[in-house]
Parts: sequence; C-alpha cells; structure tokens
Amino acid sequence: MPSVSFKSVFIAVLLGTAIIVAALLVNSRRPSVETAQPSADLVRATGKCAECHARETSAVVHQFERSRHAERGVNCLDCHRPVEGQEPMEHRGFTLARSLTAKNCAQCHATEYEQFERSRHAGPSWAAVRGTQGFSPEQIELGERFHPGWIKRPAHPVGVLEGEAATVGGCDACHDIGKPNADGSFGTCTECHSRHSSSVALAREPRTCGQCHMGPDHSQIEIFEESKHGVIFTAQRERFNLNAHPKQLTTVDMPAPTCTTCHMSGLEGLKVTHNPSERLAWFLFAPVSTRRPEGNSGELQMKEVCLKCHAHTQVENFYGIAEKVLLSTNEKVKDAQAVVAALRKDGLLDDKPFNEPIEFVEFDLWHYFGRTAKHGAYMGGADFVQWHGNYELARLRNELDTMAEELRTKGGKGGSGPATPGDARP
Amino acid sequence: MTLRERLGAVTPFFVARAFALGNLAFLGVDILLAHAANDFALPAEWLPVAFSLVAPLLLLPGLVSERLWARTRAVDVAVALGSIAVGVAGMILHLHSAFFERQSLHDLVYTAPFVAPLSYVGLGLLVLLNRMEAPTGPAWASWVVMLALGGSVGNLGLSLLDHAQNGFFSATEWVPVVTAAFGTSFLLVAMLRPARGFLWLTLGMMGVQAAVGVLGFALHVLANLRHTNVPLRDQIIYGAPIFAPLLFADISVLAAIGMWGLMRNAAHAQGSLGVGSLAHASKEG
Repeated sequence: MPSVSFKSVFIAVLLGTAIIVAALLVNSRRPSVETAQPSADLVRATGKCAECHARETSAVVHQFERSRHAERGVNCLDCHRPVEGQEPMEHRGFTLARSLTAKNCAQCHATEYEQFERSRHAGPSWAAVRGTQGFSPEQIELGERFHPGWIKRPAHPVGVLEGEAATVGGCDACHDIGKPNADGSFGTCTECHSRHSSSVALAREPRTCGQCHMGPDHSQIEIFEESKHGVIFTAQRERFNLNAHPKQLTTVDMPAPTCTTCHMSGLEGLKVTHNPSERLAWFLFAPVSTRRPEGNSGELQMKEVCLKCHAHTQVENFYGIAEKVLLSTNEKVKDAQAVVAALRKDGLLDDKPFNEPIEFVEFDLWHYFGRTAKHGAYMGGADFVQWHGNYELARLRNELDTMAEELRTKGGKGGSGPATPGDARP
Repeated sequence: MTLRERLGAVTPFFVARAFALGNLAFLGVDILLAHAANDFALPAEWLPVAFSLVAPLLLLPGLVSERLWARTRAVDVAVALGSIAVGVAGMILHLHSAFFERQSLHDLVYTAPFVAPLSYVGLGLLVLLNRMEAPTGPAWASWVVMLALGGSVGNLGLSLLDHAQNGFFSATEWVPVVTAAFGTSFLLVAMLRPARGFLWLTLGMMGVQAAVGVLGFALHVLANLRHTNVPLRDQIIYGAPIFAPLLFADISVLAAIGMWGLMRNAAHAQGSLGVGSLAHASKEG
C-alpha cells in the first residue's frame, strides 16, 4: 500500500468542501418563489416553460412576465395543470390541462368565480344562443336556480336561421363567456382579463366590454363613448389608474366611471362583484322590460356608485327620466307585438319564426331600437334614446303597420288590425 | 499471442484514442435525444449529430492500424479542430437561448445546458493531444488527467445547473454535486502532485464517481418510468436525461487512463533510472 501525503489529501478535501459550500451559497441566493414550490414540476415550470415558449410563442411569455401574476410568483403550471374534471395532456415532461377554463382561475379566485357563476355572463349567456346544448344536468340546475327559465330554453331562432357556421363564427364569440365546460364550470375569465396578462386594467378598459356590448342590439360601448362619462375617460385617460387594486379603488384612481366602475368595482369600500347583474334594476335587454327579482337592491347599489360623484337629487332625477323612457318603450314594443300577434291570431302569419318580412321588422323594433332607447336612457346617451332609439321605433312601427295592412289586404282580412302607431293594445 | 499478451499490449494511449472515438460517436446519440426535446427547432442543432456520425469513421482507420495511424495525422487534426469548433459554437448557441438576453442566475439555470457542448471541446483536445505529445513522454498522461479535470468541472456544472432546475427538490440531487466537487479537487491535486499513493486514492475517488454515475443513471431511468401514462419516447426525451449521469463514469474512465499513464511512466522511469529516482514523478513539496 503506497503511502499517501496528508498534505495532498488535506488540500483536495478542503478544495472539494469549498466548492460544495460555494454551490450551496449560490443555490441559497435563488428567489424562494423559484424553489419553494410544492413539487419539482412546479419548480421546473418557473423557468423551463419560458425556455421554449420565448422562442415558440414569445408574446405570451412577455405578457405573463409583465402581469401581476408573475409579480406574485404564480408560474405557468399553477394555471396550466389539470384540475378535477379536466382532460390531461402530456407536454414535454409536464402534465397540462388540454384546455383551461374558469375552474383553473377558481383555484385562487373562488369568490370571484362564484359571483361570475351566478351572473348572466355564465349559463344564461350561452343558453341565449344555444339553449340547453352542452349543459350537464348539474349546470342546468345551477343556472336555473339563479336564473329561472333562462337556461331551459330552445336555441335562439336567429342562430337556427343563420346556421352553425354563423353561430360559431359570430354569436359564440361573445356568448361563450358562459359556455358550459366539461369540468362543470362555465366559461373562461380570459374573455375580460386576457390570458397571460390576466389584467385588471384590461377588464376596466371600456373597449374590453365593448368587444361584445356593441352594435345595434346592445350598443353599450357606443352609448358610453358619447356619454359624459365616456368623454371624460377618453379626454383624461392618463389621469386614470386602471391598475389600481380592486379592494383599494378610489375616485382618485377613477375620476369618472368606466363600465366596470358602475357595474362591478368596489369603489371606496363598495363590495366588488363579478356579477354585473347585482347593481341592475330592470331586464333592459328583454323585449318588454320587467323589474329584476332583486331590482330594488340592485338600484340602491348602483345609486351608491352614482353618489360618489353626483348629488342625491341629480341621481333621482336621472333615474326618473330613464324609467319614463323605459316604460314608454315598453308600451311601444307591446303595441308592435300586438299587431303581429293579431296577424297570427287571424291566420295571416304561421308560428314559424322569421319566415315573413314583418317578423324581421318586429324583431328589429325591440331587439335593436327598443333596447337602444332603454340603454341610452340608463347610460346617459341621449342620441341613442332619440335618433337610434325612439325615432327608429316610430319608423319601424310605421313600416310594421304598412306590412300588416298589406298582409290583411292580401288575406282578405283588411282593417281588423291597428293602423296607426299607438293604436294597438294586447 | 495469448490473451494475456494481448491485454499487456493495450496501452493507455490506445485506450485514450478508443475513448475519444467512442465518446464522439455516443455524443451523437445523446444529442439526438437532447435536441429532440427542442424538436430540432434550429437547423444548426443537426450539426453535432452529423459531426458525431462522420468523426468516428474518420478516426477509426488510425485506431485499428498502426500503419494508417501514421498516415492520418491531418485527418485527426481536422477532426479535432472541427470538434472544438462544434463545442464552442454549441456553447454560444446554448447561452443564446436565454442567458445572453438577461445575465441572471435564473437564466443561467434555465438556458439550454451551456456546459454540455464543451464535451466536444474536451474530445477535440484529446485527439489533438494524442497527435502532439508522445504517449510515453512525461506530459501526455498529465494532460489526459488535465482533460479529465476539465470534464469533472463540466460534470460539476451540469449536475449543479440541471438539478437546480428542480430546485434540488430531492436531497439525493446533491449527491452528484458533492461527488463532482471532490472528484474535481482530487484530480486537481493529482495533476499537480502526482504521487503514487495519492494517484491510487484519486482512482478510488474516480471509482466512487463512476458508481454515482451508474446509480444516477438508474435513478433517472426510474424517475422517468414512474410516469406510466406518458409514452416511453416522451419519458426519455423530456424526462430526467438518462445519459447525463453516465458522464461521471465516462470522466472517471478518462481520469483512470491518465493516472494509469502517470503510474506506467513512473514505473518505466523507476525501471530505467533505478529505485528512488522518482523525484520528478512523485516529489511531494
């Protein structure tokens, strides 16, 4: 056995130990958010995902890196791992959910999801186009519990008329905010918050709501933009802090309201909600608007927001005028519907929807212009109350009456229906 | 020629050449797996695979025939320089994947493994060394140990950074780091103070390192097989890198070749100069 130099061994052991200590020290300098994870997969996801995706889908990496989620140490796998009821998918060493739903967000944002689940953005939104298609019995039961009659309904006749391609490419783009998911949840939160930026600011941006709340049948964004609220926001938007924390939001952050300020935000201590119906008094979107079951409470809650900027008398006066518009619009719509109902009763129209020009006129009358007049009144859009609302109601009513008269003449039953606007009564 | 005589004819120099050839060939397989995880996103990722296909074939004639060995010097030098170029370019490209954008520890951990391509540099240098130094001279074996030291430093870096990607979630992930640290320090001392006793001790350390490599291989395979729902191909490509731990055994073999050469030279010197004249080979200051 050859003799071994103590000095050599000492140097080797000392040097090896120094290397190990250095490695431990360097490792200890890593941020705990990278290492203090419940599984090795979650640790690897803190950097491994970005390694490929910075090259393959670079924008999502940059969006995420700028998000509040990233600031808080959320990593890709926190959202992308499958939760109960989701189909798993193997992806480069990670098990991911094949598609993400609101249920993934609900892992951390349970309250927000529950509010959303009870809102008309959930089940009723999808059912408005697709009826009960895609809903599980549990989802129907849940939706009906909060919105009786709004889930168990047939598919919308306009969608049926236009066909599947138009429904998928058109209607679904907005109405899938409440699409039933296989995991039992509804929709996705990304419709408003976007995927990887998961942004509060984006959800507070009026154009986000305007992706869907726009156009002739629900002109909310156009109405907002012409309202004083919208003008102030546009002119002074650099003074707005759309990134403010939802539970600490004040009028310093939002000196004038955007859609979310009135309908959802916890402005200066008010309760934040992800159910935009909570502060509403009427079913404005209905042909003939009725008071919501919780309408009184909704009106009071909305007025609390108004009172952050406006005097009590101003608010009451505004509501008074808006309600008068609503009631008069209801009358106009009911009268128009009565004309068509009378034609059906007399056998001059069958029960099949949208197979006669007059049915399109009747539909446009309430669906476009009735709604527009009411929304204009409640959102400070005078032009929409008048030119895009009541004027069109009058014009279409005239057209409807002329068509009805023609049908009666053709059917040999002239003169039994109302001939002038306002004559008809159910 | 008996088997004993045949084995006796095997020299450290011959084994080192076979080592270089075998490693260049095997790196192709390793890279085929490693770059598959990236779907060979860049055409340049095929370059080392192609190089590893061609280079061993160019080195093979010189290995099997002494006559051809004398005639293929230029080929070997070309292979060596090509190997070094592939390694350096690979390291730069790997660092390009993340680390050059932001020089942070995080990006160093999660960039493509920048140490890995340096295997080509080490092998290129070994091929060059075999052509530039006389195998029986005083320097060749020391340089082989030096290259093994470089490899050991590489192992240390790879095991540290690879396992850092898991945040050293399992404490066993520190075992290769500790082993590589002592492997490195012992090889460094063995190179600077090549006394016979310490060389034997370092060989023992290399044995431990090789055992850790084989154990790591087994652990990596088992870790991958745990995911029964994942196709085998995906387990091998995206799971724990199964060949990576075998680098420990590989570098131990190279170190053993170098130390074998050192001992052999010392024995020859002892034989020709007489007992006690090993001052050069075994002097301990």
